[in-house]
Amino acid sequence: QKAIIRVIPLKMDPTGKSNLTLEGVFARVAEVMPAEGKLLQFHPLSLCNTSEDEHTVRGFITIVKLESPERDPHPCLSLANKAKLAGERGAEAILFDITDDEGAFYQLQEAMGLSHPVVLISGRDAELLMEMVNNNQEAQVKIEVKEQPKWPEYD
Amino acid sequence: MPPNVSQGCQGGCATCSDYNGCMSCKPRLFFFLERTGMKQTGVCLPSCPNGYYGIRLPEKNTCTKCKADCETCFYDSFCTKCKRSFYLHSGKCLKTCLEGFENNNHTMECTSIVH
Repeated sequence: QKAIIRVIPLKMDPTGKSNLTLEGVFARVAEVMPAEGKLLQFHPLSLCNTSEDEHTVRGFITIVKLESPERDPHPCLSLANKAKLAGERGAEAILFDITDDEGAFYQLQEAMGLSHPVVLISGRDAELLMEMVNNNQEAQVKIEVKEQPKWPEYD
Repeated sequence: MPPNVSQGCQGGCATCSDYNGCMSCKPRLFFFLERTGMKQTGVCLPSCPNGYYGIRLPEKNTCTKCKADCETCFYDSFCTKCKRSFYLHSGKCLKTCLEGFENNNHTMECTSIVH
């Protein structure tokens, strides 16, 4: 199921040009549902039981840029459990940039019924979003469920 | 080299990437997750910042947060300076000092009552 990700910078520019409309894919590990919140980046190693993040306010949308597997050979948790932990720490949804870890897609297809949606992004869409993070450009994110095209009626 | 891997790692990183900063540190340095606004990046430090203490493990040295009532600590159970409105007593932070001690509002420590 596809997701539409709307990214609206908090510091509005009158032209609205810097709004982004990106596309991702819902991972089956979690429910397919809309979500909204402020964008907040998590380092992949922060989603481990041993580490804490001082961010305690709820209502944000986490973005995690996954590294290629050889750069994190002994992950502290599976991706599904990292997504679960992010939800427990107050995330309304989790966005995984899987550009450098395409295997992540398959790791997140086993249904676990996580109550916060997990959306996978990659390539150009991910790059645009990560650039915003890199520039520390605070933004509100709206995740929508992209409607499947209806079967055309053949007369 | 994939586009997002920075050409040279900053500070004491052993491995790093543009978006996440350090992923691992050179020997003896502590791995710390630094949050600046919406960004969270990995950094490698010779010692942990205030409010954190260092744990040395074979595979990684990390900075871990002191207890909630403690501002600076040596390790989890030994505070060296308490947060506001707590008094320091033998490495612990107390709302009020034990019998035989008085709340010293100047040093914010428990000082023994001399009879």
